[in-house]
Amino acid sequence: MRCDDARAAISLRLDGELPDGADVRAAEEHADACAECSRFARHADRVRAALRFEAVGAVPDLAPAVLADLEPRQGPGRRVGVGDVGHPRSTRPRRPVVVAAGLAAIAGLAAGVAFVGLGPEPRSPAAADLPDRVLAAQAGIESLDARFQLVERDVTGDQWDGRLEGRLVYEAPESLALTLSDRRSTEADQRLVVNGERWWQSTVRACSPRPDWTGCTDATRRWVRSVRGREPFSESSPVPLELINPVDGFTPAASTLAGLGTRTIAGRRAVGVAVTAAQMGPFLDGLSAGAHLRAVHPGDPVALWLDDEHLVPLEVTVRAASDPGRGRWASGRGATDRAGDTVLRFTVTSVTINGPIADDAFATPARMVPDEALDAGFRQGDGPAGPVPSELPGGFRPYRSGTISGTGGPTIAVDSWTDGRAWLAVRSTREWPGGRLFGGLRTSVRTVDLGDAGVAYVSDDGRKVALHSDGLDVVVSGSVAPDELRAAAASVGVTGLRVPGSWDESATATLAEAAGVVPGLLVAPELDGFGPPAVRLADGLVIQDYAGAGDRGFTLVMSRMSALTPPANGDVVGIEIRGTAGRYSAERGQLEWVEDGTTHGLSSHTLTLAELLVLAQSLEPA
Amino acid sequence: MEEPEPALIRAAAAGDLAAFERLVRMYQEPVWRFLRRLLGDAGVAEDVAQETFLRVFRRLPTFAFEARFSTWVFQVARNAGVDELRSRNRRIRLASLAPPPASPVGMPEARAEIDAALASLPVDLREAILLIEVLGLRYHEVARVLGVPEGTVKSRVFSARSRLHRWSTADEERASGEV
Repeated sequence: MRCDDARAAISLRLDGELPDGADVRAAEEHADACAECSRFARHADRVRAALRFEAVGAVPDLAPAVLADLEPRQGPGRRVGVGDVGHPRSTRPRRPVVVAAGLAAIAGLAAGVAFVGLGPEPRSPAAADLPDRVLAAQAGIESLDARFQLVERDVTGDQWDGRLEGRLVYEAPESLALTLSDRRSTEADQRLVVNGERWWQSTVRACSPRPDWTGCTDATRRWVRSVRGREPFSESSPVPLELINPVDGFTPAASTLAGLGTRTIAGRRAVGVAVTAAQMGPFLDGLSAGAHLRAVHPGDPVALWLDDEHLVPLEVTVRAASDPGRGRWASGRGATDRAGDTVLRFTVTSVTINGPIADDAFATPARMVPDEALDAGFRQGDGPAGPVPSELPGGFRPYRSGTISGTGGPTIAVDSWTDGRAWLAVRSTREWPGGRLFGGLRTSVRTVDLGDAGVAYVSDDGRKVALHSDGLDVVVSGSVAPDELRAAAASVGVTGLRVPGSWDESATATLAEAAGVVPGLLVAPELDGFGPPAVRLADGLVIQDYAGAGDRGFTLVMSRMSALTPPANGDVVGIEIRGTAGRYSAERGQLEWVEDGTTHGLSSHTLTLAELLVLAQSLEPA
Repeated sequence: MEEPEPALIRAAAAGDLAAFERLVRMYQEPVWRFLRRLLGDAGVAEDVAQETFLRVFRRLPTFAFEARFSTWVFQVARNAGVDELRSRNRRIRLASLAPPPASPVGMPEARAEIDAALASLPVDLREAILLIEVLGLRYHEVARVLGVPEGTVKSRVFSARSRLHRWSTADEERASGEV
């Protein structure tokens, strides 16, 4: 009997799935005589023991949170958990179903165009300082009324498939109505309205067939979800402010951008810039709050045209990238995109900025009966509900304040300030159970010394600043520049402490500390359009997360292991990295190599292989 | 695991939250353990497990008692987990070398090793071996959850074991300086 056959039989026997009359003895005799096969059998037993018989003390009790989510459908309480607020251990806010579908379409990807932040890029005078201008333009926007067209290339054919007509009405700071209709239908297909503490959404839902799935009753149907008790600038409800000004798409700011010149769109002067779909991820997410967009690759080049005066997106054209990974990605989805094909285009056909907005622009129809009516738990109060920063960006005035309670999570005070589309919010709680930072930051954070205000934790993308102190946890977020967020956090009157050793963020380290763990630590040079790394130490590993504009980002992992683990995926190819033999996995978007007795992994799902290689080459000792 | 009484399922399907709570408490442990291994992150697993039970509740009226209720719940959990895997990657959270940041269960070293080994498996192999090892399903039940023939389950489980074994062998060789 051959080893493979013997091991297949061992595997079946372990699962109690050996067919009657199978030749068990032959397999057993082989395994007794073959050291390698008996190791295989012992290892399979060990894996079973580790996976099936583990301590169960850590299993969380989900019932309270699940029932809190369901209650509004049933009883008069009408409450719902609000994303990360109600579920302190979750790592990200839960998004509504419709938005999640759009995110899934945009994420799951791997690659890009000409590099980010290294080397000279062609500079266009018109594109210079564009990121700073986008940030600054927010204050000058009070209202907007735009009509636009959205065209998508059919994934499977050469036809232009989806052609949608849309309208976007906005009034500062967070009232918005987004409508999309198919030309052929008389009724709006998608409508999203956000107005202060309420939002509602009407969509046509398709039932997505799954293998062996019997749960679909109607093929499609209209679905109305209505939510009240929405906190100011809630991140768990869709307010696609990126459609007004693409602030997240240009934070952190990059100073060298490939300009495309100027032209006229919808009667307005527009300035063009070349970016990637990953950088425009937040904008595309915002658009998919109203429509199910087709999937685009994160490395797809995007021509973005912004209004020269108010920096409002007037045209966004996504083309298929030309790198080999893109072809593989497309064929995996049954798409026939060829390099250079336009896959998605958003074009504004008419726009009025800072004109009057009709009184009923954000009204809820009187006879609308929602399929889901939820309460996110926020209640407006009089005056400040929590700590107030003494240093706010110039021109900011108080907006909504109140508390969130009754969601099953801690009671949270929320205060907010705005100037036009720009906003800043301070959320705080005295009931944080701990385990990780309050505020929905990802695990990769940086510590920042705020002087008298102690130590703060900043999310890797710089868009949130969290303070932990005895009895009070605070997070400051907003659409303003990262240094303005830090200044606000430093002035809320809380002295930040380091988080306890049992919290996730206690693994956060400085580069100097990391260099003590891995001698010869490599770091990325200062990259245009990327923030400094968020560094973590875990079990002898040094993990550096670099977040860039929009959704761009990459991770560098170093470990003192002196050899690579065996290639786990079939798609791994050998490749020369920094003058040594390494390997690349397209599935993971990861380069791995060994240098000076240290294993290095450089990975990204939003940069191309070419970009990763340039990055790898540019790494330098800390 | 033991099947719940049909009357309990029917009551939950009719909107009885107390009945549904009992179902949640029956299944939350296996569902969360399966998702934690599939997703490699305890916090995300908790989120997705919650989503799983919300989906279960919404779809309970369509449960036809043709399959075991457990199999049906695990199918919903698996689909929610795969949806999460597809929609993550907005920014890669952890490279393959990195263990999950929190280590709430078991002995840290052994746990990190098995998680790293699992993370090295392609999703189709990982979900197959986890349905067998974490949930103790039979091949025909795994076939139903995944919507693939039983023969495919058999070969995926065997491939997964072979790869996990190769991974561990390389680990030992490294440790003893043979490489």
